[in-house]
Amino acid sequence: MGCSESEGQLARTVVKLFLALKLQKNGLVHSSTLIAHPYRIDSLDWIVLLVPPGPLGSRWSAMLRSALPFVFQFPHRKPPPIRPRPPPVRRYASPPAAAGSVPPPLPPSSAYVHLPFCRKRCHYCDFPIVALGSSSPSPRGEAEDPRIADYVRLLLREVAATRAVSDDGVPLETIFFGGGTPSLVPPRLVAAVLDALRGKFGLSACPEVSIEMDPGTFDAAKLRELVGVGVNRVSLGVQAFQEDLLRACGRAHGLAEVREAVGIVTGCEGLQNWSMDLISSLPNQTEEMWEESLRCTIDARPTHVSVYDLQIEQGTKFGQMYTPGVYPLPNETDSANFYKMASKRLSEAGYKHYEISSYCRTGYECKHNLTYWQNRPFYAFGLGSASYINGVRFSRPRRMKEYADWVQKLEDGTWCHESITSEMKDMAMDSVMLSLRTAWGLDLHSFSKSYGKNLTLSLCSMFRPFVESGLVIAMDAERQALHPSEFELELDSENKGETGSRVAFIRLSDPDGFLLSNELISLAFGIISP
Amino acid sequence: MAGAAALRRAARRVIRPLVNASAPSRTLVQPERLLSSQASPEHRGRAIVSGSELGLYPPERIRNFSIIAHVDHGKSTLADRLLELTGTIQKGHGQPQYLDKLQVERERGITVKAQTATMFYRNTVETSESHGTDSPSYLLNLIDTPGHVDFSYEVSRSLAACQGALLVVDAAQGVQAQTIANFYLAFESNLSIIPVINKIDQPTADPDNVKAQLKRLFDIDPSEALLTSAKTGQGLSQVLPAVIDRIPCPPGSCDLPVRMLLLDSYYDEYKGVICHVAVVDGAMRKGDKISSAATGRTYEVFDVGIMHPELTPTGVLYTGQVGYVITGMRSTKEARIGDTLHQAKSIVEPLPGFKPVRHMVFSGVYPADGSDFDALSHAIEKLTCNDASVSVTKETSTALGMGFRCGFLGLLHMDVFHQRLEQEYGAQVISTIPTVPYIFEYGDESKVQVENPAALASNTAKRVTACWEPTVIATILIPSEYVGPVIMLCSERRGEQLEYTFIDAQRALLKYRIPLREIIVDFYNELKSITSGYATFDYEDSEYQKSDLVKMDILLNGQPVDAMATIIHNQKAQKVGRELVDKLKKFIERQMFEITIQAAIGSKIIARETLSAMRKNVLAKCYGGDITRKKKLLEKQKEGKKRMKRVGSVDIPQEAFHELLKVSNSK
Repeated sequence: MGCSESEGQLARTVVKLFLALKLQKNGLVHSSTLIAHPYRIDSLDWIVLLVPPGPLGSRWSAMLRSALPFVFQFPHRKPPPIRPRPPPVRRYASPPAAAGSVPPPLPPSSAYVHLPFCRKRCHYCDFPIVALGSSSPSPRGEAEDPRIADYVRLLLREVAATRAVSDDGVPLETIFFGGGTPSLVPPRLVAAVLDALRGKFGLSACPEVSIEMDPGTFDAAKLRELVGVGVNRVSLGVQAFQEDLLRACGRAHGLAEVREAVGIVTGCEGLQNWSMDLISSLPNQTEEMWEESLRCTIDARPTHVSVYDLQIEQGTKFGQMYTPGVYPLPNETDSANFYKMASKRLSEAGYKHYEISSYCRTGYECKHNLTYWQNRPFYAFGLGSASYINGVRFSRPRRMKEYADWVQKLEDGTWCHESITSEMKDMAMDSVMLSLRTAWGLDLHSFSKSYGKNLTLSLCSMFRPFVESGLVIAMDAERQALHPSEFELELDSENKGETGSRVAFIRLSDPDGFLLSNELISLAFGIISP
Repeated sequence: MAGAAALRRAARRVIRPLVNASAPSRTLVQPERLLSSQASPEHRGRAIVSGSELGLYPPERIRNFSIIAHVDHGKSTLADRLLELTGTIQKGHGQPQYLDKLQVERERGITVKAQTATMFYRNTVETSESHGTDSPSYLLNLIDTPGHVDFSYEVSRSLAACQGALLVVDAAQGVQAQTIANFYLAFESNLSIIPVINKIDQPTADPDNVKAQLKRLFDIDPSEALLTSAKTGQGLSQVLPAVIDRIPCPPGSCDLPVRMLLLDSYYDEYKGVICHVAVVDGAMRKGDKISSAATGRTYEVFDVGIMHPELTPTGVLYTGQVGYVITGMRSTKEARIGDTLHQAKSIVEPLPGFKPVRHMVFSGVYPADGSDFDALSHAIEKLTCNDASVSVTKETSTALGMGFRCGFLGLLHMDVFHQRLEQEYGAQVISTIPTVPYIFEYGDESKVQVENPAALASNTAKRVTACWEPTVIATILIPSEYVGPVIMLCSERRGEQLEYTFIDAQRALLKYRIPLREIIVDFYNELKSITSGYATFDYEDSEYQKSDLVKMDILLNGQPVDAMATIIHNQKAQKVGRELVDKLKKFIERQMFEITIQAAIGSKIIARETLSAMRKNVLAKCYGGDITRKKKLLEKQKEGKKRMKRVGSVDIPQEAFHELLKVSNSK
């Protein structure tokens, strides 16, 4: 809530004012009825639209609704970036309070692009990747592997064959090049993909364009080139600051490459926004090692840190070698301790723990990932990638041959999304699962609106003992935590049919609630889909 | 899982085509033609027997007998051989253990339901009645009885229809506990007993020792014993002549109105209730009206016939004959074992010995998955159609939801019921710790029979003045070197020694009065393990005795789990409570909060364990927006929770309930 953020806030408010003024220019809103009123709660800016009463007002509301469904959904407050936008919904068991206020599905404004190439497969990885092996290009990228260019051609064909969801050109606001090791792909090919996306969907004025990069796969020139073609966020896959651990993970780089890469990234002009990715609970990892990794991370001053707890996946080398919780993997208690250490150290260093495995400096949330956690739609392109368009989640084939065949079908028009859209309860589960991963939590008002008050009440009742035990935090509209006893009172009065609950948000506590998120979310699933 | 029904159908498929093939050219088949054991075309006619043929067999040409034996001493194989010898079944056709039709019977080598089989046999051996080639044909009814003490009432009714019994003893193993129990049952029924020392082909066979045991224990003249091997066929030809010679004919009177003993019944999907009966007096014909002495209901005889070996209609059954009758009975509950069926509108003396069913072991039966209540209800309804001796009442448990309290004749009966539910009806169940019917007496002189421990108030306002528990008389036969450990086991189980004798140089017989409660959980397994499997064990019901009993609750975070409550002897509460609590700690998974597991008597905690809270269950990010895999994992986790049973906020895995059943009384 410090005043130092006022500049950023002002800038965001200006953007929104601009939108509103655009409405006014189009004759939708008269300037006298429009008051931009920024005031501050929890470092967020709000905008208030006043619509005159009477028939004129309702005509305007209707027009506003169609022009700006999102703004209209929240007539009093414009959400901050982290605030979930409403999911594309249909009616749940009981009709929402005002059925007319449910907006049509939004067109996607995010795109994920999968660049699957790696020098070799890491021992924990079960992703759809293509290991280039010893014939891989040098870190400087002079000798290009023909497989990369072939793949990018396929990718461009997919982009070209994909139909934009909206005709009125909602531009992309985030693009994420994930992998694999996207930094192995020559910048001009990345540029080609960006061009194709721009041509197809348009790009907003300042989109977030992220790319995952591995130490040892790029130099300063390559990074400069990438920034030159529009990349403005780097996610650096460091994973650990111990030579032994890097080797044990099967990483293709050592500690020297890590130091070098951090130097290149922090020294790159025009790139402020970068993330350091770490993995905790690695085999033979000690508390001291983890402490060291956290310290090195903080010293490198990234704007964002992702901390992933190692998952042992079937079919990986680790899957064959290790059993979760059994030496040399840390036991449950030690592993939980690593998580708590990260939360503590990074928070002390000024990072916000805004999602289960994500930390950032204020204002540096990964906007692309927010799309996922806010259950908003997104395009996806490339091998094995998953898209969410028009309410349908679709995963592309994970094998290159099958993916190529699929692209061919897409071009021939012989493939189309299954028409079966997800059921309401599935959407409610998605919404709960994703929002409870974030510090923002689940917005009960919008959840009620979409899925009914009864379901919301049932969820709250289920969480009751966990509010009591501190795993779950209930908050009012001002995002002030409610005392468990207040929460119970509110719940009781709501159960009696009294309206006007103060409980506006539910979130998992940091770190204890986050640590048990699977348990808590699966309990919520049990309520939504008994 | 299709089980007995399928077996029965399969058996019918074997028999029926034969019937049909010969039906058009059916002629009166002379009994004399029924003698060969070889399968030949004319024998197909055997499947059809007319009433007039049956009329050729007056009581003096009928012998009704059963085979009694300790489990695995060769009863079923001997029965198979006799059926083959008389051509009733063809050798090598049909199933081994022909009369054991239920899957559970075949798997366990036990007989649960009585079966009858009618055989025609011409005695070619000289007897007191006839001589040489001129010997007449006999109608022999083999009445196969359950051998286990749980079914001793059923056994006694089956034996009541017989005049003699083959007492089969394994030539190597000698007399065993069940041999003794069965001998006394037969002896008390005044049956002529033919000792058959079987399996004499075994290298370890010692028929002389067995003869000596028979002499010592039962005062049987060694010269009376037949030596056989049902496996090789050795000595078998002596068996049926001995039956004819040594067993008296049925005593009934042909001139009296019909009166018959109901031996057992089963339910057939197509035919309805089929009763096995032994006609004591008079004759029963199709179309007759008959009444039940127990219920007073009257039925019309729709079909009547003999089991030869499957249902073979004859239209009539005469005095002394054994067969089946189909009336309009809706459920086997109307067909009470031991009941007297008699000519309607006539006053007859009911046959002696009828007793209503007495349930000695009770247990809650719940669907393993709470939502399957309807399926379980349907399965139990169907199964009780075939096993009317189970009592079923609905009950509700806070831990397990809706289910049933079932009363059984004994432990084996309960086991068999569970197994049949699973095998024949595919029902997955959780059963609660079995209990016995206790009697609690209160200060105000009221008495309550408690069949469900949860139903007994933990802190009753009324003062308990006395508790009573049922006891049994247990007979245990063991090689003498195991006497020490067995005496120890029995005294741990609160047994009171009644007898300690040696039946031969190597083997001892122990008799104990033991509270039934002490043998219903794990006693037999324990006995087997401390005697390397050499002990044999049988028991009979005895009277109630006064006892210091308490109700023990299991509490999870202070909430009692009703399905885990037990009634137990005060002195054992501490030990058993500790075991239950330890077991639960192993099987309940860590949850998001600490769980205290306690055993309590009233408000006094006698054992306690703490299960610490789960520390971590979190997944890394949804890579590349692919949330479907993560969602599937969480959904799986949700389903896992659904399968658990919940008490308060604690989830209990179903295995915990199964495991509690295994906790012994007093290890």
